[in-house]
Amino acid sequence: MEFEFLIDNTLHKISLEKKENIFVVSYGEKTFEADIRSISPNIISILIEGHSYQVYFARDKEKRSLSLEGQQFIVQEPLESRERFQKGEERSREDELTVKAPMPGKVIKIDVSEKEEVRKNQTLAIVEAMKMENEIKSTIEGYVKKIFVSVGDLVDSEKPLIELELKE
Amino acid sequence: MFKKILIANRGEIAVRIIKACQEMGIPSVAVYSEADRESLHVQLADEAVCIGSPPAIESYLDMDRIIKTAHETGTEAIHPGYGFLAENAEFARRCERENVVFIGPNSKALALVGDKVRSRQTMEKAGVPIIPGMKAIVKDLSELELEAQKIGYPVMIKASAGGGGKGMRIVYSLKELKSSLEAGMREAKSAFGDESVYLEKYIEEPRHVEFQALADNYGNIVHLFERECSIQRRHQKIVEETPSRALDPKLRASMGETAKKVIQVSGYNNAGTVEFLLDKDRNFYFLEVNARLQVEHPVTELTTGVDLVHQQILIASGEKIPFKQEEIHKRGHSIECRIYAEDPLNNFLPSSGKVLFLKEPKGPGVRHDCGIYSGCEVPIYYDPILAKVIVWAENREIACQRMLNALDDYVVLGIKTTIQFLKELIGHPQFRAGKTTTGFIKMYFDGWEEKKKTEENLKLALVASAFDSFNQTHARKVGEDVQKEVFSPWQSLGKWQLGGRK
Repeated sequence: MEFEFLIDNTLHKISLEKKENIFVVSYGEKTFEADIRSISPNIISILIEGHSYQVYFARDKEKRSLSLEGQQFIVQEPLESRERFQKGEERSREDELTVKAPMPGKVIKIDVSEKEEVRKNQTLAIVEAMKMENEIKSTIEGYVKKIFVSVGDLVDSEKPLIELELKE
Repeated sequence: MFKKILIANRGEIAVRIIKACQEMGIPSVAVYSEADRESLHVQLADEAVCIGSPPAIESYLDMDRIIKTAHETGTEAIHPGYGFLAENAEFARRCERENVVFIGPNSKALALVGDKVRSRQTMEKAGVPIIPGMKAIVKDLSELELEAQKIGYPVMIKASAGGGGKGMRIVYSLKELKSSLEAGMREAKSAFGDESVYLEKYIEEPRHVEFQALADNYGNIVHLFERECSIQRRHQKIVEETPSRALDPKLRASMGETAKKVIQVSGYNNAGTVEFLLDKDRNFYFLEVNARLQVEHPVTELTTGVDLVHQQILIASGEKIPFKQEEIHKRGHSIECRIYAEDPLNNFLPSSGKVLFLKEPKGPGVRHDCGIYSGCEVPIYYDPILAKVIVWAENREIACQRMLNALDDYVVLGIKTTIQFLKELIGHPQFRAGKTTTGFIKMYFDGWEEKKKTEENLKLALVASAFDSFNQTHARKVGEDVQKEVFSPWQSLGKWQLGGRK
């Protein structure tokens, strides 16, 4: 059985075949045997060539969170993420012009108005979460094209706050 | 003893206080906002009352609602924890007037030490060393500019009403003063409901050393030695320990006596902490009194054997401190790490969301004060502290190693935390050498990046994910087959309830 996963925007392929009590894994150039057990809904034990590994695991819809020796992995299935993944390049320009909330929070101040000229690093708005204020700064020199939120709005992470326009 | 205690707080500290109440056989009342219905403190308390909507100002800071709830539940005393109303003199006064015991200092002392400017004046008069700074609150910008000039840059902006780094800003030049003041005042307003700020000289490369004190209602005062809390980011402590490597017995005795004097001249009772800055020439300056139970109180508990929450409750109920200064001894070394819902890779931005899985650290000499559980939601409205890991060992070296093991043993999935960052911090040679100053993180961890994910771990993560997908597909297939071929009662288990209908 073949699987594709996205980790940190990189696509990985791996295949798993069940052979009696163990699995035959093909990853990259290598093929090896692995004894994999579900110890509890959140712990997976893996034995490979006598070495024992413990993986902490949780799934939230399509998103898997894993921890190995303290290292955290977010593993996603490429179905919906693939589009974003492939369109990566054309999006980056657009991304730069759309100012987004860095984390879920509340808009407590908007320092600019539409059509206003902005400098690079100028504070555009302030979003507060968990009692900390975070200044949202302009990444470009240009104009404010559109403001999508108002003071007091609760915003999600990645929610567009302000659209900018490059100076011609 | 009190018949019932209301805990006007949430998170790990509310849980900590509820446990003390349980140990003392006192029923506890939790209050909660609509965002906290499923929080741990609500589950653990004997009674729980919803006091409003998620923003703190409409719930945990709503004095009327909390006092009304105290009356309605027949509560005799309110423990405010830390943050929220803990250092609010008006709340303490209201409690006194309404015949509910406030488990903390009397309102007069609280007003004095809470007013950082007035308390500085008092301490200066009493001969306690202080940092050069403003002696009065002004709100006029031009006056503040003048004051900053007089003190000399860099200056520190501090919230008059609070601590915890909220509202605090370092200003290096006149240019930055106005915007920093505005931001500081806004943060102070939203955190403490009071926008007053003041300025003082910023001492570079200091250590933060504080003394825990207890004072009963009869004028007996003891200190329970120091805690060093130099490891801070955004002026907020993240690692604390005792004893401090910077003190010798002589300096410790001198600072301890000064701390007791501060408590005495403030007319302070109950538990309090006297904060000092210690400069590199070992001069110490009084900073402020933290008029509450501190986040880092467990390191003192583990080294002195005194339960500070028990003592707070006993003192508030009119008991005398059961020991004298010379009867208090410390033993071994204790370190605390605060676990925050923050992304250390992204400027410590808060990370809210669902905790998909939690594995708590365990083992000899490991204590975990915790406000979360597998499956809980971390709301965006409150302080991002989730839990604290505290270790005790016979010396600092073993304590560091024990902390590293505990952090290794600690897994949180679903939200970002500071665990990995703390591991590298505790393992840092300069930390191991005890060379801790408040600039430590900036100096050694600026632009910190997590160690690169190893190929080996990446491979294992993929194997585990593939295994999960394999099982899912398999289970679906089996499920379909089973449904087609045989009837199984387990298919409809969802509708059943263990123990039947009550």
